[in-house]
Amino acid sequence: MVLPSQTLTGDTRAAPAAHSVDLRKTYGAGQAAVHALAGITVAFERGRFTAVMGPSGSGKSTLMHCMAGLDRPTSGQSFVGDLDIGKLDDAGLTKLRRDRIGFVFQSFNLIPTLTAAENITLPVALAGAKVDQEWLGYLVKQLGIGDRLAHRPSELSGGQQQRVACARALINKPDLIFADEPTGNLDSNASADLLAFLRRSVQELGQSIVMVTHDPRGAGYADRVVFLADGTVVGDLERPTADTVLERMRTLGA
Amino acid sequence: MRNVTLKGLLAHKLRLALTALAIVLGVAFISGTFVLTDTLNNTFSVLFGNVYQKVDFQVRGVAQLGSGANATRNELPESLLATVRRVPGVEAAEGGVEGYAQFVAHDGKAIQTGGAPTLGISFDPDQQISALRIIAGGPPVTSGDVVMDAGTAQKYGFTVGQRVRIVSAGAVRAFTITGIAEFGSANNLAGATLAAFTLPTAQDVVQETGHLDDIDVVTAPGAGKAVVQRDIAAVLPPGVQVVTGQTLVNENASAISQSLSFFSTALLVFAFISLFVGGFTIFNTFSIIVGQRTRELALLRIVGASRRQVFRSVLTEAAITGLVSSAIGLGLGVLAALGLEALLRGFGITLPAGSLVFEPRTVLVGLAVGVGVTVVAAIGPARNAVRIPPVAALGDRQSDSDVSLRRRFAWGTALAVAGVVLLAIGLAKPAIQLVGAGAVCIFVGAAMLAPVAARPLSSVIGRPLARALGVSGKLGRENSMRSPRRTAQTASALMVGLALVAAISVFGASLSRSSTASVDDAISADLILTANGSGQVSGSVPAAASAVPGVTATTTVYRSQFELQNTLATLTAVSTQHLAGTLILRMTAGTTAALARGELLIDSTTATSKHLSVGGAVPVRFARTGSSVLRVGGIYQANALIGSYLVSAAFFVSHFTNPSLAALLLRTNGSAAADKAVTNALAPYPNLQVQTRAQFEQTQNASVNQLLGLVYALLGLAVLIALIGIVNTLMLSVFERTREIGLLRAVGMMRRQVRAMIRSEAVILAIFGAIIGIIIGTGMGIALVSSLKQQGITDTVVPASRLLVFLLLSALLGLVAASWPARRAAKLDVLAAIAAE
Repeated sequence: MVLPSQTLTGDTRAAPAAHSVDLRKTYGAGQAAVHALAGITVAFERGRFTAVMGPSGSGKSTLMHCMAGLDRPTSGQSFVGDLDIGKLDDAGLTKLRRDRIGFVFQSFNLIPTLTAAENITLPVALAGAKVDQEWLGYLVKQLGIGDRLAHRPSELSGGQQQRVACARALINKPDLIFADEPTGNLDSNASADLLAFLRRSVQELGQSIVMVTHDPRGAGYADRVVFLADGTVVGDLERPTADTVLERMRTLGA
Repeated sequence: MRNVTLKGLLAHKLRLALTALAIVLGVAFISGTFVLTDTLNNTFSVLFGNVYQKVDFQVRGVAQLGSGANATRNELPESLLATVRRVPGVEAAEGGVEGYAQFVAHDGKAIQTGGAPTLGISFDPDQQISALRIIAGGPPVTSGDVVMDAGTAQKYGFTVGQRVRIVSAGAVRAFTITGIAEFGSANNLAGATLAAFTLPTAQDVVQETGHLDDIDVVTAPGAGKAVVQRDIAAVLPPGVQVVTGQTLVNENASAISQSLSFFSTALLVFAFISLFVGGFTIFNTFSIIVGQRTRELALLRIVGASRRQVFRSVLTEAAITGLVSSAIGLGLGVLAALGLEALLRGFGITLPAGSLVFEPRTVLVGLAVGVGVTVVAAIGPARNAVRIPPVAALGDRQSDSDVSLRRRFAWGTALAVAGVVLLAIGLAKPAIQLVGAGAVCIFVGAAMLAPVAARPLSSVIGRPLARALGVSGKLGRENSMRSPRRTAQTASALMVGLALVAAISVFGASLSRSSTASVDDAISADLILTANGSGQVSGSVPAAASAVPGVTATTTVYRSQFELQNTLATLTAVSTQHLAGTLILRMTAGTTAALARGELLIDSTTATSKHLSVGGAVPVRFARTGSSVLRVGGIYQANALIGSYLVSAAFFVSHFTNPSLAALLLRTNGSAAADKAVTNALAPYPNLQVQTRAQFEQTQNASVNQLLGLVYALLGLAVLIALIGIVNTLMLSVFERTREIGLLRAVGMMRRQVRAMIRSEAVILAIFGAIIGIIIGTGMGIALVSSLKQQGITDTVVPASRLLVFLLLSALLGLVAASWPARRAAKLDVLAAIAAE
């Protein structure tokens, strides 16, 4: 199988991993209408780790859902590579998620009836493809979960579960990984480990990651932070640190 | 607390509807049975009321064998009619006879009724007495005239003036239809055909020349009825009695109600089986509901609900579910009864105009059983709900503890063993209630033990699915293994259904094989002649058959009722001349020569159970000749086809008035030409079947299979309810796994893969239930068959291929059951599923 990321390593290298054009998402109508996304145009560059921050209700999760093909916007376009995902039907979107996007959620990331190894290779199995054993071995080693592979999720710690989820997100070498508050349920040590791994996978493997978070320290691991408020982009910070993020949040909050 | 219960009910309308459906169907079955049989009872009472409406008294022979409407009575001398007419106060008296007469349709085939009698009677010209009303043409006048009932005339296209051939115990004769008649307002007598002749012709047709069966009497206006009855009685010879018209109505009604009660009991057994299976479904649903509501129930405990309140809350939910669904079931029962009535009409049985009878008993039993089953099934889950500690509201859901599993195992084993013992005692006795109780214990015990087998068996069953369907099959398999208890409970309902189906299959196959074997064991004749339906073989047939070239031996077979040691029994008789060439009697004591000496032969089973041996004397009684004592001349190996008691035809004919010929056995030179010649020679008897031994076996098998078909159809409802249980569990599981399915969809599972996953789980569930059911059922079937060895089921056959078909059918039905839950799971909104708490 030809992995999408391999096909994209050439001349399209300069194109963003994903971008949106005037993305809008409205719930309800008329007076009661709520604009979760009020026209967002944003690009997530290839090979970079981007954090999306904003207060509750700022639309950061909705943005992620719309750009990952989990939800459909009311208007506007979103692209993965140069593919307009608004044109895909359910099967097309499902295939896109399976083959070109990786997901790490805050909780309930794993199928309880499958072992860790089976969870990691789930997207490959769903595609009916063969697992790249070398790649799997590499991921497992990097994440330090080699001895947990035969265990079920209920026998893993929270940190281990999230690392298994990371391995699953990476197994298909996706164009882009969406991580939605991946450290939200972890203690600080496990959080640091996980964020360091995500950081490394960008640096060493050229992976593209978008992480929704409200933790300034987590955002500090990113290459760039996009700030959202009331469904629009209100700020953009390159090479953030926990301090600069915190400071920017204060000014935005004021 | 009541509010919480009601809100809980309303919050889960769908799962409630599915649970309710099981009860609705079961109760509809029960109430439909009641409504139908009550209605039939009522219409028959009305009908007989009409038939005997004008009759004040009837003079008839006293019952010789049996009692009431079904009794065997001796005929009266015709001269008695004049005697009765002379009694003061008798305004009119008419004598009548009744016997066998079967119309031949235009296509040359004898008209069959499917069980109802084909009657030949004397037409009573006195409209003061007769229940027959001529609606076209006129009464029979000459010996060549006949009046036909309107039902037969309509169905087979006969009109006044046409000729019709009629088969009787004598020769086949052609008559002219002079009239068409109705019974009051009904066009026939509940499916029976009726040929009415002048009295002398009728006497000739039913072979009672110079005799009457009964005399109907109408009293003069103003005459004291009690006085007239006493005066009639005074002139009657011994052995003759006079009864009122009301007595006749009552006797007929009670005979009908007795035969209907067998019918309704049989239907009710199947209705209760359906409800029993429904009970499993309810138990399972409430278990899952309580499981899913652990946190909610624990929270209730935290805020101060007592254990009792929680218990009552769950039971109240069950009671309301039961009540509502029973009420709906009762309503549907009327529809079910109407449907059955339409079915009867389709079979040509026009019931006299009478509205549906909805007795209060129907409502009471329906509600009581429906609510009872629901509440009893919910007691277990309610007790589990009570055991939820308040702290469960804070933590994760608790799983099945080992202790409770072990206790379940102990209880399940005890129940199953007790069930087997009960079943064995019940079959040995035999006592049908014990058999039923034993089966119930076995099923409940097996259901309790099933969780132990659920994980390993599901794993094995699911392996090929996982291989064939990839990750969807694998996930389906894992899902069926994750909660052995739920899998087992869901499958249990199907287990019961399939167990009964398997038991019946084993029984049917064994019965088929045994009856085939009994034909080969009992008959060496090449051709077997019998009358189809309820007909009789004409007395002139033996002579006609013997005269055919190629026929080398003929044996006549008679059959009728007699009394032996004061109980009614069936007596078979055979002509002795060519016995050895046509019938096989494996004598264990004595010889067949005893037959010619007028002695009785009995079969080995009866000899053992009645402690009779060769040389012993048995008291017997015949309707015509009264009591006598027969010597046992020999004992033969039991054979269902021959029956238990055998005498010679000569003996038989001398003890019965109108000996009815049951069959004729022919030995031929074996050539096909001889078979053909016999068929040709007997063409004038359209009610005869001429069959080779192989054909005769086939007919026997066909009737067994027909019965099996009916039983399967009735068990079908139980299987349907079991499937509803599978749908219900899968729906609840899909609901419970919303997030999981959402996650699978998010990481790339296609809708069709989701559907395949749910379907795999359903197929595994269905096969699991079917396998256990078939194993248990086969055991039960073998036990049943071996207990019936004495009754002539000598071979035990396990129809493996048929059972395999049932297994595959179950898998298919599992697929069908999964279609709705699968579609629902596939349609889950991914985002909502991920966001769901």
